[in-house]
Amino acid sequence: MGLEPFSQSRSLSLGVELELQIVSSHDFDLTNASADLLRDIEGRDFPGEIKPEITSSMIELSTGICADYRDVLSQLTQLRDVLVASAGRMNVMLCGGGTHPFQHWGDQRISDAPRYQYISDIYGYLAKQFTVFGQHVHVGCSGPDEALCLSHCLSRYVPHCIVLAAASPFVQGFDTGFNSARINSVAAFPMSGRLPFVETWGDFGHYFERMTKTGVVKSMKDFYWDIRPKPEYGTIEVRVMDTPLTIARAAELAAFIQAVARWFLVERPFRPSEDDYLVYTFNRFQAARFGLAGQYVDPHTHERRLLQDELRLTLDRIEQHAAELHATEALQALRRVVTQGNDADWIRDLWRRERSLPEVVRQQCLRWGEG
Amino acid sequence: MLDSFLPAWPPQIDPLATVAFALLLATLAGEIAHRFLALPRITGYSLAGLFFGPAFLGWIGVREFAGMRLLIDLVLALLLFEIGIRVNLRWFRANPMILISSLLESLLAFAGVFAVLHLALGVAVEIALVVAAVSMATSPAVVMTLTGQLKARGQVTDRLMVLTALNVTYAILASKLVLAFIHRSYGNDWYIALFHPVYQLSGSLLVAYFLAKGFQWLRRYFDPAREPSSLLLFLLLLMVLALLQMLRLPALLAPLLAGVLVRHLDPRPHVWPLHFGSIGGVMVILLFVMIGASLTWSHVGLGGVLALILIVVRGGGKMLGVVLPAKAAGLSLRQSVALGIGLLPMSGVAFILTTDLGQLFPALNDELRAIVMSMIFVLELLGPILLQRSLIWVGEIEKGGKRGT
Repeated sequence: MGLEPFSQSRSLSLGVELELQIVSSHDFDLTNASADLLRDIEGRDFPGEIKPEITSSMIELSTGICADYRDVLSQLTQLRDVLVASAGRMNVMLCGGGTHPFQHWGDQRISDAPRYQYISDIYGYLAKQFTVFGQHVHVGCSGPDEALCLSHCLSRYVPHCIVLAAASPFVQGFDTGFNSARINSVAAFPMSGRLPFVETWGDFGHYFERMTKTGVVKSMKDFYWDIRPKPEYGTIEVRVMDTPLTIARAAELAAFIQAVARWFLVERPFRPSEDDYLVYTFNRFQAARFGLAGQYVDPHTHERRLLQDELRLTLDRIEQHAAELHATEALQALRRVVTQGNDADWIRDLWRRERSLPEVVRQQCLRWGEG
Repeated sequence: MLDSFLPAWPPQIDPLATVAFALLLATLAGEIAHRFLALPRITGYSLAGLFFGPAFLGWIGVREFAGMRLLIDLVLALLLFEIGIRVNLRWFRANPMILISSLLESLLAFAGVFAVLHLALGVAVEIALVVAAVSMATSPAVVMTLTGQLKARGQVTDRLMVLTALNVTYAILASKLVLAFIHRSYGNDWYIALFHPVYQLSGSLLVAYFLAKGFQWLRRYFDPAREPSSLLLFLLLLMVLALLQMLRLPALLAPLLAGVLVRHLDPRPHVWPLHFGSIGGVMVILLFVMIGASLTWSHVGLGGVLALILIVVRGGGKMLGVVLPAKAAGLSLRQSVALGIGLLPMSGVAFILTTDLGQLFPALNDELRAIVMSMIFVLELLGPILLQRSLIWVGEIEKGGKRGT
C-alpha cells in the first residue's frame, strides 16, 4: 500500500478523539466492558463515532467535523451523555486521565478486532503496557504542503499542549513524579517520535516510499508520531495530550490548537526550520516531567523561561485569533489552568487528601460525568 | 507417674486434630483440582468434605458440624456482607431490567419447584413450599469464592453477584413467610404466625443498620484494605451474630442488608483482600468441607431422583428468567446463558435455611433434608465447574487464569 493522496478538508476545521477509561464501580480498577457499552449504544443517536480501542477496558469517542470550540463542546457533551448513561446501565464508570493510576498492565485484555490482535502479536507486552489514554486533535488543512508546514510550526507548541492536558501522574500504583507519565509509554514504540523535516508532499512521499521498502512500516497508521499528517481525512493530528478529566478541558485544548494554527496561517509569525527540533525533546521532557514548573527553551531565540510564563505569552499572542474563532471563554479557562494548576496537580492534591487511589479514580469519574 | 504428662497410648484422636487434618487435606485437594485438573478449588474442598464425611470415612459428621455452627454462621455472614457490598442500588434505577430479571428468575424457579413437588408429585404443601423457597437461593459462597479466587470481572460476574444477593434475600424472606404458614397449619395462634416473620424482618433491618453504621465508624479510622484492621470486621460480625442469637433473629439476613446499606450510604470504594484475608480464606474452606461432610447415602436414596428433576426445573426457571429479558437488560444472548448457568450453584445458605426449619418442625425434617441435601450435593459439585466454564466462555476469567507471580 502506497501513500494515499491527501484529501481535501476545510482549513482549520476541528475533530477531537478521546480515549476513555472504563472502570468498575466496585473497586475502580479498569474493567473490560467496551463490548457491552458498544452493544448498549447501538441505535442511539449521537454525532461522531464511538469505537473500541486496543484493550477492552478502553473506549474511544470522536466528534464529527467541527467548526469551532462551541461545536466541539456541544458534540462532546452529547457523546459523553450517551456513554455515561450507557455506563450507568452496565454498572461501570468512565473517566478521563492519561493513565489509570493503579491498574496492572498484565491484567488487561486485547480487544478482539484483527488490527489489535496484529499489534499485540508484533509488540507483545508493549501493546498491553499501552493501556494509556490520549486526546487527539485533528486540524483540517487545505492541502498537503500546508499540512506539513502546520505540523512543523505546531511542534514548537507540543510542550504547551502536554502541560495543559497533563493528567497522568500515577502509574501502576505509584507517583511517577511526572505530570504526564503517559507520554513515556509512547516512546517505547519503534516508530514513535516526530515527523522528519520535509516541507513538501512530494518529499514526504519519497520518505514514505523508502520506509515502506525497508518493510518496517506498511501504512501511515504505523507511525506513532506526536504530530502526523492524516491524508485520509486531509488533516494533521496532534497526539501528545493526555485525555483530560473533563470534556470542557478537551474542548478548550482543541480551541487552543485551532487558535495557534490560525495565528500561523494568518500572521505567518515564523518559518519552520529543522533547527526547531534541536530543543524539541528537551522541551517535551520538561513539560511532561515538571508541568507548569518546567523549563522551556525558545527554539528561535534560545531564551529559557518557565513553561508557565511561556504559556502566558502564547495565550496573549493568540487571544485575537481565539476571539475570531468564538473561543475567548476557552482561553480564559486555560489561563486559570496556568495560575491554578492542571489536572495532574488536581489528581496529586486529591491523593494527598484521600491517600486512596481507588477513591481518586472515583472522583475522576464524578468529574467526567459532570464537567 | 509418667502418665501425668505423657499422652495416653495409643493417643486419643482429638476432634481438633481431625478437623485440622481434614482442613489440610481439603486445601490440598483444592490446589490439586486447580493446578492439575483445571477445576475450581471449591470442587476439591467439597469432594474432600464428602470423602471425610459419613458417606465414606466418617471422620466428621453431624456432631462436629453442630459444634462448628457458629463458625459456619460467621463465614456465611462474612460472605453475605461481601456480596451485599456489591449491590449498587443506583444500578437498579439506571437499569430497572436487572430487578425485573431477578424477580423473574426467582419466581420461575420457585413456581417450577413447587409445581413439580406439590402439584405433580403430591408432596405435602409445607415441604413443597420450603423446598421451593430455598431453591430460589444461589450460593453466595460459591459465587464469591470462585469469582474472587479467579479474579473474574465483567457483566456476567457483576450481575451474578447482584442476582445472588437478591435471590438469597428472597429465599430468606420466603422461608420466613412459609414459616408463618406452617405455624398456622400446626394450629398456632394467628398472631404468632403473623408476628414472627414481621419481627424477624424488622429486627434484621435494625441490626443491619447498626452494623452498617458501626462499620462506617470503624472505617473512618482504620483501613479494611490492610489485613490487621480487617480483623476488626470479623470481630464486629461475631458480635453482631451473638446479638442476633440473643434476639433470636436469623443469622443470614442482617449481614447481607448491612453490606447493601454500607455501599449505599458510603459511595467510596470498599476494597479489601478477598474474604478479608487469610483467616476468611480458611473459614471458607471449612464451610465447603463441612457441607460436603453433611451428606449421607440415606439422603441420596430418599431424595436422589427427585432432586435431579428439581435441579432441571429450577435451572430452567433461572435460565428463562435471565435469558428472556436479556436484550432489554443490556446482555448478549451468550452472556445471559452464562449468567443462567452461574445461578445454578446451591450450598451454604440453602443448607442453613433447611436445617433451621427442620429443627423448628422435626416432623418435616427427614423428607425435607433428603430432597434439599441431594440437590445441594449435585449442585455444589457441578455448580462451580459449570460456573467456571461459563465465565471462561464469556471471557470474564482468563483461560490460564494466572499471573506470572
